[in-house]
Amino acid sequence: MKKTRKIIPKKIDLNTWSRQFEEIPIEVIKKYKYYNNEEWGVYLSPPATFMVYGARELKRLKFDNSFEALRMWGFVFNETERLFRARQINKKVIATMGDLGTVPVLVLSFPDCVPFYPECLWWTPFFKESTELLDTASKLGLPEATCFSRVVVSAFYKKSYFPKPDLIIASTGASCDDYSCVMQNVEDMGYDVMWIEIPYRRSLEFLLNKPKPQDLGKTGQGLVYLKTLEDYLVREYQRIWQALFKLTGVNNPHRLVETIRKVNRLRKLVAEIKRMNADALIAPLPALEMMTIEFGNLYGYADFDEWLEIVEMIHSLVKKRVEKGIGVLKKDAVPIAWVTPSADPYLLNLVEDLGCRVVETEYVINQGMVQIEENIEPIHALARSFINASLIGSTEERVSSIKEKIAKKIIKGVLITNMLGASHCAMETRMIEKLLDGVPTLSIDVPAPFGITQQIKTRIEAFVETIK
Amino acid sequence: MELIGFSCSYIPVELLSATGLRPYRLLHGDLNLSQKGERIVRVDACPLVKSNLGFVIENQKKFACIIGSTGCDMSRRMIEAIRFMTGIPVYIFNNPRTDNFEIFSNEIDMLIKELEQFFHRRFDKGLIQQECERQEKIKQRLREFDARRRANPSVLSTTVFQKIMADYLQGNFSDIKTEVPEEMSYKPRVYLLGSPVSYESGPIIELIEKRLRICGDFNCGLSRAIYIKVVEKTIEGLKQAYFKQVPCIFKRPNKGFYEWVDKDLKETKSTGIIAFILDYCDNFDFEIAKMEKRFSLPILKLKSDFSLQNISQLKVRIDAFIEVLASYRGGVV
Amino acid sequence: MKDILTPRERFGMLVIDEKPDRCPVIPLITSHAASVAGIKLKRYYTSGERMAKAQIIAYEIYQHDAISIFSEVGIIAEAMGSEFYYPDNDLPVLKNPALKNNLNDRIIIPNPKKDGRLPVYLDAIKYAYKAIGDIVPILAYVPAPFTTGMHILPPEKFLIGTLRNPQEIRMMLDFVLDATIKFCYEIINAGALPVIVDPLASGSVISPAVYKEIALIYEQRLIDYLHRYDFDVILHICGDTTTIIDNLLYTSADLISLDRVNMVKAMEKLSNKMRLIGNFDTGSFLFSSPEEVYRTTATMVEQLKFARKGYIASTGCEVPIKAKRENVGAFIKAAKEKGWYWV
Repeated sequence: MKKTRKIIPKKIDLNTWSRQFEEIPIEVIKKYKYYNNEEWGVYLSPPATFMVYGARELKRLKFDNSFEALRMWGFVFNETERLFRARQINKKVIATMGDLGTVPVLVLSFPDCVPFYPECLWWTPFFKESTELLDTASKLGLPEATCFSRVVVSAFYKKSYFPKPDLIIASTGASCDDYSCVMQNVEDMGYDVMWIEIPYRRSLEFLLNKPKPQDLGKTGQGLVYLKTLEDYLVREYQRIWQALFKLTGVNNPHRLVETIRKVNRLRKLVAEIKRMNADALIAPLPALEMMTIEFGNLYGYADFDEWLEIVEMIHSLVKKRVEKGIGVLKKDAVPIAWVTPSADPYLLNLVEDLGCRVVETEYVINQGMVQIEENIEPIHALARSFINASLIGSTEERVSSIKEKIAKKIIKGVLITNMLGASHCAMETRMIEKLLDGVPTLSIDVPAPFGITQQIKTRIEAFVETIK
Repeated sequence: MELIGFSCSYIPVELLSATGLRPYRLLHGDLNLSQKGERIVRVDACPLVKSNLGFVIENQKKFACIIGSTGCDMSRRMIEAIRFMTGIPVYIFNNPRTDNFEIFSNEIDMLIKELEQFFHRRFDKGLIQQECERQEKIKQRLREFDARRRANPSVLSTTVFQKIMADYLQGNFSDIKTEVPEEMSYKPRVYLLGSPVSYESGPIIELIEKRLRICGDFNCGLSRAIYIKVVEKTIEGLKQAYFKQVPCIFKRPNKGFYEWVDKDLKETKSTGIIAFILDYCDNFDFEIAKMEKRFSLPILKLKSDFSLQNISQLKVRIDAFIEVLASYRGGVV
Repeated sequence: MKDILTPRERFGMLVIDEKPDRCPVIPLITSHAASVAGIKLKRYYTSGERMAKAQIIAYEIYQHDAISIFSEVGIIAEAMGSEFYYPDNDLPVLKNPALKNNLNDRIIIPNPKKDGRLPVYLDAIKYAYKAIGDIVPILAYVPAPFTTGMHILPPEKFLIGTLRNPQEIRMMLDFVLDATIKFCYEIINAGALPVIVDPLASGSVISPAVYKEIALIYEQRLIDYLHRYDFDVILHICGDTTTIIDNLLYTSADLISLDRVNMVKAMEKLSNKMRLIGNFDTGSFLFSSPEEVYRTTATMVEQLKFARKGYIASTGCEVPIKAKRENVGAFIKAAKEKGWYWV
């Protein structure tokens, strides 16, 4: 095996990645496989492979130049194939929709069950630089001024992005209207959907009276809630457990305990990566890779064990870079927070190219980032972890961690990405701007694929100038 | 402060009137109010939500508190915005989208406790029964009006009915008319459904009824509230009645809405449907394609931000719709 | 029935062993696209933009399932030093091979971005990829080393060399392989999936022994390179491949495109490991009626569409430049109508 050269961290484009890939020995390429399958499980491919298969935006994007990042991207971009392969080797493919982070923990506790989030397909039109899925959604009668997650309806219609799920668990309630409507449309297409209630987390200012202390609970993150909320969730998770038992014929609560430990391991690694990334003098990883790592917490991109290994590798890489004081951005990159993930990955590249560095995020998936308690009954533990969810409570609670960092003068600006017509974006954005009074905020409506114009670039440039 | 505001049909009016205050349903829809609401929410928020925000900001001193619901996402967040902008005490009722009576029942119990404590009133059996009876009397009168609207031929316009309902929904119970003159009409019968009809929507309803007669509806702001019949005049009876009301389209699954409307279309002998959908009203906008397939009647989709600027364009579309109805029925308009 | 998937989505399902809405239909519409688009042939193969535009126009008319970037098999040999003559109304013809007399003469490893007409291909790929690459796969046909070898040495010398001094032939082909790999690298980074064509390795030209000892080795090595990228590699060998059919499995190609061979036999021998492509007789495009074309295609597709690993309805060889448009249309129509999997 060739001795690998020391690589100075930086963001590189697709062509540079292809040159680097040429030097990787075939034994290394064949080493990494999902589902341990030798025949089709190899996933270490450069961005060029996926670009050839239609991911056109990869031509424009820049990626971290580490082997660890390559492994991550090869794995993530391979997900559609992985879901079909899962079905081919008789795994149960379970669509978990709407809850963003907790239901997969239940699913992973059952043997040979693979959870996935159809809503993660919202990035697909942008990676492909294609309006095909959005156009299909329009042809199916969906309105255009809504969240890009409407592509999920197109994906269910086309049946070519994932196999027909063995079970669809759709969580709705105190959640985004757009996606609730998307899930209803999926059911209307003839799919059997198991509906789960996401209850509302009332913060104290939405009560008329001060509650009794014994009626209150507190999450690990310090969110105060009424205990009845926990009971509501526990009952829903018990229903899910029953459904999975019926599907698999297996009922082993101990597996849930083990799964929680494994999930916590991943979440801990990601929390550390985030912290190292934010605290380091020079950002060790780009924002695009960071966002992808965060979202991996939700379900491990359909092979949780392999994903955990990948994140472990990335954790080591970030640690080394931090120790050496090296990274991918300039030292004077302006630290910002990012609220609500961008459907267009290019925006993350662009913001960094224009001089920013993302040190804090609120990507509507807070429930997938927190540690699940291991010292209490596991279903209750899951319920308590979900109570930290980003969108089930107040906007103020949602941005509390950003507010803290602003107060500590760690963050100089806040970028909020929205979609025109998406329900929570329309309602929260102005309030977030008011709540974060003290730093400049920039709100951008992410346009459809190809839509990032000079105007948007100019606005970001002006924002960077302001916060510098 | 004479008002207790509320935002959703799933919040029992009986409990609100039991506080001694006037229950005031937030159903404003006006461009000027909407623009005031844009101080705190974006322009692509629901026009009803924006208008309600604008109204509450302007009239905040009148409200003792506001009770919201989680029915639709924007409506729930509207309550947060109200609290943020005005400091009015608010309570958000966790109204389950799914068929979860346990949550609903528990939430009603919690709401009662909150109201009791806040207003220093015990909601005992007697009070509940009294309020249920009072409301039922009023609703019965309103149902009689609605029956005249639904009759064939219809003898009451929705234009008039909407004004009567506005009095009810604004808690002006004593101002509710006891008599209205007959307005018989043989105009084509249409069914109105969709987003809430605001208090200021009169001109739009009137325009529609210049050439059509709306003889049935599924809209907040019109007849929905009066068909919540509390049979057993107890808290349990309230829970059952409100949980099982005409199912809102945000419910999951929403087949209850379709079953109800199917039935109502037949009962009202409607020959067409007018889907009144506010801009950015996802719950209805996502369903229009399904409605066109499901209800085998012509549908006119009217999008609105409550602006009356496009009223002439609206007139043209209604005229065209009448042609469609005529050819559908094979008759003469 | 109306298509549900785009060609990209369809191809994507096929190569992960899933049945898409219908089998993909990819006739080898290469230079025929110039005729369809009304572009002079010489301009087609000397201008990347024109080549791409012709392919796009052909796609818009025929609505088949891939764009094929290709002109003729001498393209790498030309860049390595062989001289070709460019007729106005025909494809390039070999005039002077790079190694006229002697394997010891020098040949160069070309730079695909500068040498010969390799940049034409790359420009065509980039143009087509930008225009419609989101919904249609872009396939770039690359001559395999053996076929290129026969354009670097005078063909008779090359063929005799395979028997009398195979070692020297292999040394030459090692260079050709390097050049081919370099070209594939640029094709990939431009956005196309390389498709290996080795028409001069068929039983119509060489013996099974020469195929096994020489041509196959270089196909394998090229495919191994492409497999590094986890590509689903298509190998196309037109002509009679009956005598080498057993050896085709050793190429490790993922999809095999065949011409004059008994496809039922091919299905038996190959379709557990390889997806089949083919094999409509392209002569029919010139001499048959649309109804005859439709019938023959329908029979072919009905017979082959359930090939175990999957099937692409295609032609055995390139669609003739002057093929009747209504015949090509009839082929595609029949393949689409008979190739449905989803009810």
